Amino acid sequence: MEILANLSLGFSTALSLANLFYCFVGVVLGTLIGVLPGLGPVATIAMLLPVTFHFQPVTALIMLAGIFYGAQYGGSTTAILVNLPGEASSVITALDGHAMAKRGEAGKALATAAIGSFIAGTIATFLIALFAPPLAEMALKFGPAEYFSLLVLGLAVSIVLAHGSLLHALGMIFLGLLLGIIGTDVNSGAERFTFGQPWLADGVNFVVLAMGMYGLGEIINNLEKKGTRDLMLKSVSGIRLSWTEFKHILPSILRGTAVGSFLGILPGGGAVLSSFAAYAVEKKLSKNPIPFGEGAIEGVAGPESANNAGSQTSFIPMLTLGIPSNPTMAIMIGAMMIHSIQPGPSVLTEQPALFWGLIASMWIGNFFLIVLNLPMISIWVKLITAPYHLMFPVIIVFCSIGVISINNTEWDVFMMAFFGFAGYLFSKLECEPAPMLLGFILGPMMEEYLRRALLMSSGDFSVFFTRPLSATLLAVAVVALVVVLLPSISKKREETFKE
Amino acid sequence: MKKTIMALLAGLVMTAGAHAAYPDKPVTIIVPFPPGGSTDMVARIMTQKMSEKLGQPVIVENKPGATGAIGAAQVKRSAPDGYTILCASIGVWAVNPFLQKNLAYDPAKDFDLLTVAVKSPNVLVIHPSVPAKDVKELVEYLKLKPNKVTFPSSGAGSSDHLTAALFWMSTGTTGIHVPYKGGGPAIADLVAGHAEASFQNLNNVIGHIKAGKLRALAVTAEKRAALLPDVPTMVELGYKDVVVTSWQAFGAPKGLPTDVKKAIHEAMMAALKDPETSKKLTDPGFEVTASTPEEFAKFLQAELAKWKTVVEVGKVTLD
Amino acid sequence: MSSLIRHPKDFFAGLMYAAIGIGAILVARNYNFGTSVRMGPGYFPTILGGLLVLVGVISMIRAFTREGERIKSISWKEIVLVLGSVALFGVLVRGAGLVPSLILLVLISAWASDKFKLKTALLLAILTSAFSTLVFVKGLGLPFSIIGPWFGV
Repeated sequence: MEILANLSLGFSTALSLANLFYCFVGVVLGTLIGVLPGLGPVATIAMLLPVTFHFQPVTALIMLAGIFYGAQYGGSTTAILVNLPGEASSVITALDGHAMAKRGEAGKALATAAIGSFIAGTIATFLIALFAPPLAEMALKFGPAEYFSLLVLGLAVSIVLAHGSLLHALGMIFLGLLLGIIGTDVNSGAERFTFGQPWLADGVNFVVLAMGMYGLGEIINNLEKKGTRDLMLKSVSGIRLSWTEFKHILPSILRGTAVGSFLGILPGGGAVLSSFAAYAVEKKLSKNPIPFGEGAIEGVAGPESANNAGSQTSFIPMLTLGIPSNPTMAIMIGAMMIHSIQPGPSVLTEQPALFWGLIASMWIGNFFLIVLNLPMISIWVKLITAPYHLMFPVIIVFCSIGVISINNTEWDVFMMAFFGFAGYLFSKLECEPAPMLLGFILGPMMEEYLRRALLMSSGDFSVFFTRPLSATLLAVAVVALVVVLLPSISKKREETFKE
Repeated sequence: MKKTIMALLAGLVMTAGAHAAYPDKPVTIIVPFPPGGSTDMVARIMTQKMSEKLGQPVIVENKPGATGAIGAAQVKRSAPDGYTILCASIGVWAVNPFLQKNLAYDPAKDFDLLTVAVKSPNVLVIHPSVPAKDVKELVEYLKLKPNKVTFPSSGAGSSDHLTAALFWMSTGTTGIHVPYKGGGPAIADLVAGHAEASFQNLNNVIGHIKAGKLRALAVTAEKRAALLPDVPTMVELGYKDVVVTSWQAFGAPKGLPTDVKKAIHEAMMAALKDPETSKKLTDPGFEVTASTPEEFAKFLQAELAKWKTVVEVGKVTLD
Repeated sequence: MSSLIRHPKDFFAGLMYAAIGIGAILVARNYNFGTSVRMGPGYFPTILGGLLVLVGVISMIRAFTREGERIKSISWKEIVLVLGSVALFGVLVRGAGLVPSLILLVLISAWASDKFKLKTALLLAILTSAFSTLVFVKGLGLPFSIIGPWFGV
């Protein structure tokens, strides 16, 4: 019953007036920057760090953490409403979430995302409370070879994402992989495809690419359809989720939570895969008559739950080992050190009130988020029924400001415009952007881990097969590829028959 | 009418430029790295006291890219009026010139050097599974397994990469350099035992050393670290060349008026010597240096000479 | 020629893949290729370029065998106005400041809609730039000057 004592310590810390207040401030601020496209939690947290100097350490961490998971939450709102994914995980949410919005079910999609995130957040919080140290030890088993194999699995599964032609999905994945190579090579430090331009030295930013391809590309597309879009969005039907619908999506939420909780623990980029993996799982298992990509509700429930569960469990390596799994966690570690707390395994024993208080606050923060966001849904839904000719310039403004704020350089704005043109051409040629973005995210990581694994093994390829975890992942990848490819090949045959 | 107003406005602007006491508008510190890193942290910790002293807000602006070269070049091109200052690390000041082709700035010529704000000692750590209790045993181990032992670093051309090269050079050993995207993932693989030995900032690994996840063999500073009193320095062990500290220093575009330079330097000293601010710096493991511009200039020359040798003799290249 | 290509979308998509793939291979020749055991920076891009060329060629060949829709005409007016206004914002924002460049951004991009009315667009531009100033500059502290140095302020 140690866990009860721990949790009661945690809740008694987190429920103090100051901690409740700053948890609230954190999640509200997080939601705001999440909703605004292009702004991320990292910059906000870094900016607010000096403000937290005079706070109690636990209060500071509670607020900063709130910004982080609040932003994850807010990001899905923009993805669903206006098809603008501000981060990798939202690309997936946008696929079916925005399709639902176009059908007039924006409210339903938002409610699904909110409820799924809350359930996932709750379960993940308890997972952290119960198993944080052993889970962290498990995460350390993942070396470069294991990560590479995991990414191969991710890429194999990602072919699922395409709902059009398989050949074009492959083409777009390769294109994305190539695009991801632009910039400084991690393994050698050499610059590639930068043409001597310093603004390309750090590669293309994900947000720049996504805002261009989705934001601007889609706007041009909508404009050329003339008035049809307004009519489409006027017919808002479902705002609330019925009990039957809730029961229908609950299994998806739970599966998503499981996938996300596991992948979120891995500090080397597992969290990025969580929503992709959950989407693939749902697509495989779904019996929904609505095809995925055209507004299947499971396609929102699974990935959103996975994303939120993953963002919670990504605290595990930071809290128990002092290892940052993403840039936000790195700043959290900095915040701890400024408050004279040495991050590492000793935090759990030396600072129990901080450790358990932060964990309890995450559940409270998730509660705040759902209480705040469910009533907001009807406002959001009204917002997107605004006439399109008034809405799209505002979207362009937010994209432009968001993009320029990433690195404070106007080159990112020019690049966004370029990708807007590319996105428009792709849609003309029926090439989907989602597989390309996936390749863009996974490509650099795959190359990095592959070359690192080979460097460490002095060029011995057998590491991928002799290490049991890596071998298992590769085997699963092969199985997944077969399972995924067989039906789509037979489906393609059907297509050819139709023609 | 229009002309008169324009003339008036122009006159106003000019007089403002000529007579107003520095500073009459916010001062921007350019950090050429993303938010959240060591350099960003140092700058942000110092802003509060600096703006109190200057009587104007001091703002941190992150301008990341090309290992800090983009932000540094931007400061070089800015007006030398004291409103744009650079806060950068050892890599930007002393390493980039020897590794980056077509570097758009010259650290020794393009800036008015202000102060070395903080230094932080580096420490040689190994995973406990490596059969070495001290540096001597590690050197033997490296000689037994030439080009086999992995040394993770926070990036190709980073100061920890070059420290490893310097160490191999001084001890006549070899190893595999494994670059990562930043110190965090490099330390993670070291703690997990996927990699074996590394030179890391003491503040980033002290928790792991205390918990027994990493073994500290030697400190690369001139004297022992207060946090690790039992760990010898490389100099004590006879490796007189292996003296490396990470540092963060401030500079401004060349040609700063003397009074402006004095005002900024005074504000920085006020911040660094303020007990509360310096505690915020020393708690995460920085040592406050707060040098004069003259000391910084001398120090920079020494550092540039050192890293030039390491890059040339150690044959470190980026390709 | 166009009568032979029965699936123009597949053909041009394939052409695009192949062209980018060849371009990547050519540029990557400047980078150290390494060996498959010790890969250099040129290894991955060359392989990827090759795969892309392969996909492109298959797609182009397929275009001769399957039937497909024509590519719809390209809306140049929308492209120029939307992307041009964004690029102009990038050019202006440092010098002219946030508010003037946002007003131009909104006015020019709104022009791309067939429902464009100068009055509404002007109102929208003022509201948007006021909101952005409050939220981004005042609220979130992003380093933009509201009115830029070009106006001598």
